Amino acid sequence: MKKRRIPIAPYIFIAPAILIFLFFIFVPAIDGFLQSIFTRGIIVRQDIPSLRSKFVGFLNYQKLILDPRFLIAFGKTILFTLIAVPSILIVSLSLALILQEKIFGIGVARAMVYWPAMISPIIIGIAWRWILGYETGILNYFLTLFRLDKLPWLIDSYLAFISVIVVSTWAQIGFFMVIFIGGLNAIPETYYEAAKIDGASNWRQFLSITLPLLKPTTLLVFVLSTINSFKVYQFVVVLTSGGPGRSTTFLVQNIYEEAFTKPMSVGYASAQSVVFFFVMLLLSLIQFKLAKEESL
Amino acid sequence: MKRKENYIVLKYFIVILVSITFFFPMLWVVISAFKGESELFLNPPKILPVHITFENFISGLKFGNFTKYFINSTYVTIISTIITVIISTMAGYGFAKFKFPGRDILFMGIMATLMISLEIIMIPMFLTLKRYGLINTFIGIIIPPAATPTGIFLLRQHMFSIPDEVLEAAKIDGANEYQMFTWLIVPLSLPAISTLAIFSFVWRWNDYLWPFLVINDDNKRTVPLALANFVGQYAVRWGDLLAMTTLSIIPTLIIFLIFQKYFIKGISITGLTG
Repeated sequence: MKKRRIPIAPYIFIAPAILIFLFFIFVPAIDGFLQSIFTRGIIVRQDIPSLRSKFVGFLNYQKLILDPRFLIAFGKTILFTLIAVPSILIVSLSLALILQEKIFGIGVARAMVYWPAMISPIIIGIAWRWILGYETGILNYFLTLFRLDKLPWLIDSYLAFISVIVVSTWAQIGFFMVIFIGGLNAIPETYYEAAKIDGASNWRQFLSITLPLLKPTTLLVFVLSTINSFKVYQFVVVLTSGGPGRSTTFLVQNIYEEAFTKPMSVGYASAQSVVFFFVMLLLSLIQFKLAKEESL
Repeated sequence: MKRKENYIVLKYFIVILVSITFFFPMLWVVISAFKGESELFLNPPKILPVHITFENFISGLKFGNFTKYFINSTYVTIISTIITVIISTMAGYGFAKFKFPGRDILFMGIMATLMISLEIIMIPMFLTLKRYGLINTFIGIIIPPAATPTGIFLLRQHMFSIPDEVLEAAKIDGANEYQMFTWLIVPLSLPAISTLAIFSFVWRWNDYLWPFLVINDDNKRTVPLALANFVGQYAVRWGDLLAMTTLSIIPTLIIFLIFQKYFIKGISITGLTG
């Protein structure tokens, strides 16, 4: 009876979602590619010579390769990722191991560690700016308690970079810890019982049971935290505003500043976004491939 | 026997040490918010306030215009959560319970947008919103992020678990697709709907990047945007800032305390990120 007739109902149900994706992701995404081959500012008016948009082909991309501001911001983002991702992996796995114990009150402990993951990046920036202040910051006070010198956490460019890494790790740990706890709980208890009968030490059990069986979870955490690290921007705005100097200015902030604070740079900023997009695409493809291999 | 006891004590010691270390930064903000100006910058500082005062809260809400920002944030968060839930539930139903040409391609397409986060398309997004006339409007912060791939995925997965026989039975009783949606699908999807609503509330309440891109009129700022702006000023008024920060974490804290299990579960099932 109803064979071969195309139903209308499902299209009506998915229409609102599809329309939003079309107008607010698809259109801007295509637009981003297009703008990257033009020179233009925020406002384009063809009747005013200084506000015209001009087709320049791949000139914006050529400019990229030689632009120290972009290259340094890009390099810093990579360096940040190279340090932040292993820190996140190690700390969140360790915390998961510590907090997976089924002892009284463990739920409270988990909640306390997880909570920062539920807080706005802006608030994370504010909290740490307050803690890391030079004169009256509580961390420097703790240092003086141990008879150590106060450190210029957000004033010195190396320390500021380290601070950004620490804060970023702190903010994400709870989230990844929960993922790791999920992975740990999925490992059958019988494996450990068998290992105990064979007389394997705790460390031995960790190396030969926990780590190998945790590989899918670890890969997931690895890729997600890499993607997050490449997008680092929001809490940094409040914590250091990218400074001192440009020592904590990363890719996203650089793109934003390029487009909105310099004349006729929207096309150039779009070219930077396109490069950024391909980095993220590559990371996502890796994630997809890993996920597929795991399910085989 | 003795050794085992020591082991347990050590375990507790580590667990307590770790959780306090991670919890302290936010706790310190809250404690500091109740200190007066002179105590805030006391050197060396006292951990607990000597005189608990609410003056920071009062002056932040009164002079800092924060009452307005809290109203804005509440409005935006509630409306966009409702819209997100409606859109995702509808789309989840469409994708889970129908066969139609283009279904898999469209679904894959939606999932692929997970790769394109706002950070990547910030610039063209701004130009697009400007073209549509949505800059400085609440619609501009509410509608574009309302359709989330994560939400649609969550609802679709849940609806797979609703047996087709239930729908068949309703069909025999004469219900059409729309009646089935309202009277069967929505009530049966309430667990997934509440999970999404909770997550959406937190995402929207905490969101900075969308309002940052869309809003520059002071009267339309949301709380995170206003807080960030507060820090950007030449001399940071720490007392007010810390008090308003403390106020702004209350809604998500309450939600977290009530629905803690949803968060832990939601993350381990789908890796919900935002």
